[in-house]
Amino acid sequence: MNLANWARYGLAATLATAAGGVLFYKRQPHANRDAAPARSARHVRRFGDYRVTGATVSIRATADQIIDCWQNDATLWPQLEYLPFPEGNQDDLLLPPAELRAMASVPMRIRIVTRREGELIAWRSEGEGQADMHGRLRLSDNGSKGIAVEVIMAVRPPHFASALKTEAMMAEALELGLLRDLRRMKMLIEAGEIATAKMRPDAA
Amino acid sequence: MRAATFQGKGTIDVRHMPDPKIVNPRDAIIEVTSTAICGSDLHLYDGVIPGVEKDDILGHEFMGRVLDVGRDSTLTIGQRVVVPFTIFCGHCFQCSEQRYSACDNSCPVEEQEVAEKAFGYPLAGMFGYSHLTGGYAGGQAEYVRIPYSDVLPLVVPDDIPDDRLLFLSDILPTGWMAALNAEIEPGDTIAVWGCGPVGLFTILSAFQQKAGRVIAIDGVPGRLAMAESLGAEPVNFHETDILDALKQMTGGVGPDAVIDAVGMEAHGFSIDNIADKIKQTVGMGQDRAHVLRQAIMACRKGGRVSVPGVYGGKADLFPLGAMMQKGLQLRTGQTHVRRYTDELLDMIERDVIDPSFLISHRLPLDDAAKGYRNFRDHQDEWIKVVMQP
Ligand SMILES: NC(=O)c1ccc[n+]([C@@H]2O[C@H](COP(=O)([O-])OP(=O)(O)OC[C@H]3O[C@@H](n4cnc5c(N)ncnc54)[C@H](O)[C@@H]3O)[C@@H](O)[C@H]2O)c1
Ligand SMILES: [Zn+2]
Ligand SMILES: [Zn+2]
Repeated sequence: MNLANWARYGLAATLATAAGGVLFYKRQPHANRDAAPARSARHVRRFGDYRVTGATVSIRATADQIIDCWQNDATLWPQLEYLPFPEGNQDDLLLPPAELRAMASVPMRIRIVTRREGELIAWRSEGEGQADMHGRLRLSDNGSKGIAVEVIMAVRPPHFASALKTEAMMAEALELGLLRDLRRMKMLIEAGEIATAKMRPDAA
Repeated sequence: MRAATFQGKGTIDVRHMPDPKIVNPRDAIIEVTSTAICGSDLHLYDGVIPGVEKDDILGHEFMGRVLDVGRDSTLTIGQRVVVPFTIFCGHCFQCSEQRYSACDNSCPVEEQEVAEKAFGYPLAGMFGYSHLTGGYAGGQAEYVRIPYSDVLPLVVPDDIPDDRLLFLSDILPTGWMAALNAEIEPGDTIAVWGCGPVGLFTILSAFQQKAGRVIAIDGVPGRLAMAESLGAEPVNFHETDILDALKQMTGGVGPDAVIDAVGMEAHGFSIDNIADKIKQTVGMGQDRAHVLRQAIMACRKGGRVSVPGVYGGKADLFPLGAMMQKGLQLRTGQTHVRRYTDELLDMIERDVIDPSFLISHRLPLDDAAKGYRNFRDHQDEWIKVVMQP
């Protein structure tokens, strides 16, 4: 499968099968041997037309608790920058948080395309004239450190990357933002609240 | 409220700041009854730790009374508490192993990136200690917001005065952990560089942990005298070649463990230290690692190196070969304060130790600027400054 086909047939499907990236790398007979092929966004900055970024944290909780927080904790949602979150009671639709929305020059409708209980949720944007985005949240056991939670997102310029930001700047902002979002979720789940140095609730 | 604020390198000013309020469910607000100036504060004062901003409230050694509590706090109003300077959540992987100063969750996410770039991973939060550690307002103030108040503060009995309890917030556990990190075997000879508050508590802790001898190194006679009064053998680095002296004093073997309780602002006119000082002054992220170099050289083969002294940047001429070839072990870190406070409070209650001997000066908070200046410039007399808001 070449890159153009791969993009056409749906990035979400590839992202959904964690093996996708691995296969892609294993096909290259002389590629660097690497135990983290395509897992870290840093290794794959670009897939065809897409920019791919991601972030990982470990959270001391069960996979169910983690999904439950992302899906149901309304204190989390307003704090998110880039990680899409479930929209009200519409099970398979996700909302882009403000920063992600601002990064795209056209609207986004995001739908969950794959769900593997306690393991994986993958989504993609849909519809003509919508900004093109794919992503996944994957959970895996990390021993005494808890559950490793990884988010990977692939977005396609030009609808992502405004005139003000270069593509590279956008990818960097996205990667950093996703990491912040995962860390907020980790704080909320482990510590019950999101850390702040504010001295008053009304402080800037 | 009034608070000691950073206004630029070498300038501390007590200003009116907004009173803190409960922000998160686990918060408490305390009214500060005593607060101290630490050697670590001098690194901020001297501008050698980055990430301090104008109007930041300093101070990480403080205690007080509970004034207000959030929904999930377990404290009650009026309780007396000592607050550890390393802020921790109590639930992450690091906290589960009592490495509180490595807590994953206590530094606000927006503040994590600078430290992550500098050190590979973000740091835990600390009170009043730059934005690298969260930008939390510190305790040299009338009131402080305390996060995670169900796990962080140590509730203390009403009948022990502040003077004997205050140092549980930092330097007493820091000295204790410095000695633990030296893995002292009964009868060992331990060399401690620096007879500031941290060094003095390290000496006291080393004896508690069954050291046979402690050799104390400093250049300030008043501080060396205090070390001697704790039972240490004083050596003045202005008058003596340290390496030679330590060899002689240990029958040619060297100390079993060496402890650097000086950190990144070592004094001395050696060539390495002068070069470091120039680089530190022009902002090259250079630490003055003169003491650490000397300690590593002086340590016996197969010995231990413990570093409570604070470093924040990089060190040239680090004697890596000496570390490796002699098979030394190095342990360091910001103190996991709360891990040791129950045990130390118990020792204070039983009169095994009385940390208040350290206090040389008491000032009202309004005189904070004077306290900082003298604590840095007149170390012979100004051993430890305690302020009352
Ligand atoms: N690890 C932690 O959690 C922690 C906590 C508190 C303090 N600290 C650090 O511990 C260190 C000491 O703190 P303090 O409050 O005692 O500071 P301090 O500034 O009062 O004391 C430092 C002492 O080191 C002496 N000194 C300087 N150069 C020396 C040399 N070349 N050889 C021997 N002695 C020398 C000084 O004369 C002084 O007495 C600082 O770096 C401080 O930041 C670390
Ligand atoms: Zn301190
Ligand atoms: Zn923690």
